[in-house]
Amino acid sequence: MIQLKHILSLSVTALLLAATSAVAGQLSVQVLDNQGQALPGAAVWLTGQGLAGDAEVLKRSYKMGQKNRAFEPHLLIVPKQAQVSFPNYDSILHHVYSFSPAKTFEFKLYRDQPQALTFAATGAVELGCNIHDWMLGYILVVDSTHFAVTDAQGKAQIPLPAGQLNNVELKVWHEGFVDLDKPQSERLSVVKAGEQLNVQLRQALGMFQDDFSDEFDDYE
Amino acid sequence: MSLMTMNKLLHWLTLASLSTLFSAAAQANTVQYKGVLQASWQSNSEYAAWYNRGVSVNRFGTESERLNLSRAAIDLRTELGSTWSLLASAQYVPDPDSKLGFTELFAQYHTLNKGPRQWQARFGGFYPRMSLENPDIGWSSPYNYSYSAINAWLGEEIRTFGTEVSFKHSDNRLSRRQRTGHNWELVGALYKGNDPAGTLLAWRGWAVHDRQSVFNEAIAFAPINALNAPPLAKQAWRTEPFTEVDGRFGYYLGAHWDYQKRHTLRLYWYDNNGDPSVLNYHTGQYAWDTKFYSAAYRFKITRSTHLVMQAMAGNTAMGKRRGVDNDFSSQFILLTHKWQDYRVSGRVEQFDVKDRDFWDFDPNTSEGGAVTLTGRWQLSEHWHVGMEFQYLESKVANRADFNLPTRQIEQLWRASAELRF
Repeated sequence: MIQLKHILSLSVTALLLAATSAVAGQLSVQVLDNQGQALPGAAVWLTGQGLAGDAEVLKRSYKMGQKNRAFEPHLLIVPKQAQVSFPNYDSILHHVYSFSPAKTFEFKLYRDQPQALTFAATGAVELGCNIHDWMLGYILVVDSTHFAVTDAQGKAQIPLPAGQLNNVELKVWHEGFVDLDKPQSERLSVVKAGEQLNVQLRQALGMFQDDFSDEFDDYE
Repeated sequence: MSLMTMNKLLHWLTLASLSTLFSAAAQANTVQYKGVLQASWQSNSEYAAWYNRGVSVNRFGTESERLNLSRAAIDLRTELGSTWSLLASAQYVPDPDSKLGFTELFAQYHTLNKGPRQWQARFGGFYPRMSLENPDIGWSSPYNYSYSAINAWLGEEIRTFGTEVSFKHSDNRLSRRQRTGHNWELVGALYKGNDPAGTLLAWRGWAVHDRQSVFNEAIAFAPINALNAPPLAKQAWRTEPFTEVDGRFGYYLGAHWDYQKRHTLRLYWYDNNGDPSVLNYHTGQYAWDTKFYSAAYRFKITRSTHLVMQAMAGNTAMGKRRGVDNDFSSQFILLTHKWQDYRVSGRVEQFDVKDRDFWDFDPNTSEGGAVTLTGRWQLSEHWHVGMEFQYLESKVANRADFNLPTRQIEQLWRASAELRF
């Protein structure tokens, strides 16, 4: 249920982004796993030389919150050099850390005392909480301002800066990948606004299911 | 300076330095606190409670058919850098003589490192983490108001004053792909104090209640005849469960395991390593040689229906030739279900103390059991209310000292309201 909420909020954010950006259109992508099933929670983005960065996307306020002892959103995709704040909506303390090569940091977060960080290197930043071991979240830093996260139907809309783009790469990432710093890459010679693309993953996902942690597992 | 004055001085010094630290931290907005004020009404028992020198084994005895402030508790936590934290639980209980104090106070060290394995250590006064019934504010139970006999006893007579070190493997700290679902933790502790633990089991028997002892507390019990007999005449009519008597270190070892936080198991061996021949003449406290195992298991049948079980068995003895020597054991099964803002919990338990010594003037045999049903309702984030019914049966041999029937059957109703902040 929480997962579903994350996905819903992500997809709503994605839709809003799509609606508010001054874009010439968007590309619809559906991500399928290697079994052909729609895959929610996958990040998709476009890179390529003809793709200019959107300064407005870089300046947006990105938030990785902690709510009810979970990271919200579970996956946040941001452009390189973006600033992300970490508001704690819980009444209890969280100790957020990452040992990922793209960004190594740790801080203790009290309610209403958010910290912020700039993410200068691309890659997957895996977040944990040193107090609540089961909390897991991702910040995916990409070299692009044209990105989205798939919804419950595995669908995402990537805003396009122009009606047509040539020689771009569509990248796909999911937390179940073997190497979190190796997204799947698809070369596209032509991409048109309004187009619908299907991408199937070439690797099987390792997705150990969520555990039964609840408020009374605090003091483990 | 006598030991007692020193103890008192230390106590006040600790209190003063702590309040300074916490108030400084509070000003910097870096204290996390969770608190509860609980008021209760309970139907009267026929006899006074043990701490009022009666023979009842429920908490409120004969003075409960009015609204009592049954407990006020606060958990505090402040951070001292990235690896150290300071944690405290303080509480107030009115029975019998308005007691305010710490139930826990310790510094915690927790490494922050890459990978799933970590060291953790606690220094100070704290509960061993052997139970799964008491995860709520101030070590209370979110299930039944009165804790099981096992945890009521841990709350009144067991506390660790020393160091606990643990090494844990948290599968959750791995990315999803690498997980197996298995988490484990190995725990070891060395401590002083806690020498008189076992006194209440021997002379009162098990009890089912929610009254926890604070640091430095002395707990009275009924003036049984055995304490007038010459071999026991030096024993005070009260126990000071957390004090050091024999100068020896005690220890415990524990192992935690869980699978996806769904099946959780905790196994402990506790040994206060007491020298039963040693007596503090000044306080009238013996060192009891108390050792026991505890096994606790929790199964989350669904996310909202949980099963909690615990079993404990051990032995406690005091006196040069182990003149008081008792085996004790207890078990409970608790089933709880949460639906929206309601929680219902039912617990069945059994307990006994077997007298193994040859001092006929001091009968320690007791046995009993209880069935407890509780309904709780979260009216809002801050207000919680609930009702509890308890069938409590106990048979304690030394009640004959007071010309009372050794067997008591009580049916108790309790209503409680809580303000949480």
